[in-house]
Amino acid sequence: MKLSSKLIFFIAGSKLALGALFVAILPLVVNRIASDFTNFSLEGQRKKVMANIGKNGVETYLAGENSYGSYTMLKDEYIAIEKAPVSLHLDTIRTTKRIVETDTLSYRVLSATFGFKGRNYLLEIGKTTASINLYNDSLQKFAVYVLVLLIAISIFSDLIFTRRLIRPLGQIIKKRLVNSKFPFIENQTRVKTTTSDFNYLDESLISLMNQINEAFAKEREFTANASHEFLTPISILQNKMENLLVDESTSHQVQQSIVEMMKTLERLKKISRSLLLISRIDNAQFIKKERVEPAKIINEIIEEISHRMEENNINMEVKLSHSFAFDNLNHDLLFQLFYNIIHNAIKFNKKNGSIVISDTLKGKDYSILIEDTGMGMTEEETRQMFNRFNKSNSSANTGYGLGLAIVKSIAIYLDLKLQVQSKLTRGTTFEIQFKKIEGNFSGMSSGAKA
Amino acid sequence: MKVLIIEDEKTLAYEMEVFLKKAFFICELAHTFNDGLKKLTAGLYDYILIDLGLPGGDGLELLRNAKRSNPDAAYIIITARGRLEDRVTGLDMGADDYLSKPFFLPELHSRMQAISRRKFKIEQELQSIGEFLIDLQKRFMVFQDISIELSRKEFDLVSYLFLHKNMVLTRGQLSEHIWGTFADDDYDSNYIDAHIKNIRKKLNAYAPTEWLETVRGVGYRIRKH
Repeated sequence: MKLSSKLIFFIAGSKLALGALFVAILPLVVNRIASDFTNFSLEGQRKKVMANIGKNGVETYLAGENSYGSYTMLKDEYIAIEKAPVSLHLDTIRTTKRIVETDTLSYRVLSATFGFKGRNYLLEIGKTTASINLYNDSLQKFAVYVLVLLIAISIFSDLIFTRRLIRPLGQIIKKRLVNSKFPFIENQTRVKTTTSDFNYLDESLISLMNQINEAFAKEREFTANASHEFLTPISILQNKMENLLVDESTSHQVQQSIVEMMKTLERLKKISRSLLLISRIDNAQFIKKERVEPAKIINEIIEEISHRMEENNINMEVKLSHSFAFDNLNHDLLFQLFYNIIHNAIKFNKKNGSIVISDTLKGKDYSILIEDTGMGMTEEETRQMFNRFNKSNSSANTGYGLGLAIVKSIAIYLDLKLQVQSKLTRGTTFEIQFKKIEGNFSGMSSGAKA
Repeated sequence: MKVLIIEDEKTLAYEMEVFLKKAFFICELAHTFNDGLKKLTAGLYDYILIDLGLPGGDGLELLRNAKRSNPDAAYIIITARGRLEDRVTGLDMGADDYLSKPFFLPELHSRMQAISRRKFKIEQELQSIGEFLIDLQKRFMVFQDISIELSRKEFDLVSYLFLHKNMVLTRGQLSEHIWGTFADDDYDSNYIDAHIKNIRKKLNAYAPTEWLETVRGVGYRIRKH
């Protein structure tokens, strides 16, 4: 679940729970407040009555009678004073029933005894509970409405605010993690946010990316320097051996040993050159501004490599139905890419096997497929095939394990999509996808057989 | 023919000298920028081989100076830097060729010869190998009046061996000459042998080819007395 949804659910949930709790205890609270208020007003009236009696005497009310009683018009309030036994002492407020003119009504009644001029009197001031509850209910209803409205408004504003608040997080994730491609040179601009945590996250990710960039740059630099530094000593050794080989005093036996040494040196030379090539590609030291026709390159390679096919009696079928040209490529690199793939297709093929080179056009994407009937690879081998120094094929016929690492570097550099499908003992298919056709559309079909 | 080798790796310069001497070149060596500059202003050379990474200055700078004092010489840049822009600038500045270290010595020699043919327009006569005649410039081979159909790579092989006649060339040297850095990485492959076999087959139809020798475990050689 998304963070913003979680936050909204939590905030809304907690608000609703609090609201529900409030609604649940509202009647109790309101009752309590109403009761306290009633008590307070009853006490107030008693004070007034007592003050009046103190000033004018109890006869103001009794007027010679034994008791006095007075109602308001709707009988919702009454006051009564009567003589009481000397022994009676009361000072209570309670809810009780009273019969007033044949009606039995529930009253909140203040009962208090007081002495006046040697006599004991009972004062009762009552207020109908109905009149108390009258406001109580509508007050409660009103409070609930206001509460619901407030909760709704606040949830809505929370929703908007949370989304705004969280937005930079989404932007950071999208910009730094989803859309970013190694090397992380582009997109170094900060995501705008006033939230310091997001700033911190963004800064941390940028610094992490810079560290990765730096580490890779160092690795590339090391590879480039190391392989480059190897070339001079290799050069010296190689030229010394060459001179020794053709020296008149060198016997045939020694010559044979020198050739063996030269072969070994050749391996070292190839490895150094390949590593240097990879680091040059990775360091973007090749210009990619050429307009190149992949189909032409394929034909160049076939001419170059045909001797290898004859050697293993491999049949090559070229079924290219388009000849598109693509801009922003590098002829030599593309040549190297196809060369290595086709070379592998020959090298890891079966005797009398075949290779089919075809192409497809899906929408604007143009792909060249190179399919061999070779020994194929397991899934594990397919996963690792582009790693440097990987020699997955268990056959004795191996190279240095750099050919496909070069292919991968070139594909990344030239922005080509590379896909491989392989079935053990059945063969391997490489698909090289070129982005977007740009002009130069001419249907060409060639069924050259090599 | 005089060659100036400006190369800071002394051993390497020496090995180049040893090889070129066998091909009857007179060599002088310089190991630093200043040393090179001194020799360039003092003498005239037919070939000038310049390493780009020199102590005391940039080889390209030296090339610019050298072009003034020795405008007619053939220039070959030799470098381990192998950067594309070096190659482009070098060739733009008038270098005739460019060799990346490590290179095979016969390759250096063959490049020098190629420049000579191009630059000095040396008219070479038809030369004989066995009962055949070969024209390295116009790239053909004949038996009496019959032209022999060799593929481009087959002719490259014959002419490379012929240029280094009486010298054995290894399969590695031959394949790098023909396929450059695309030379195959598995050395037990016998495609050079396959080419030689084809060449022999084509030539044997006309005359014997015992001059094209296989040196067991080493390589091939054209024998010419």
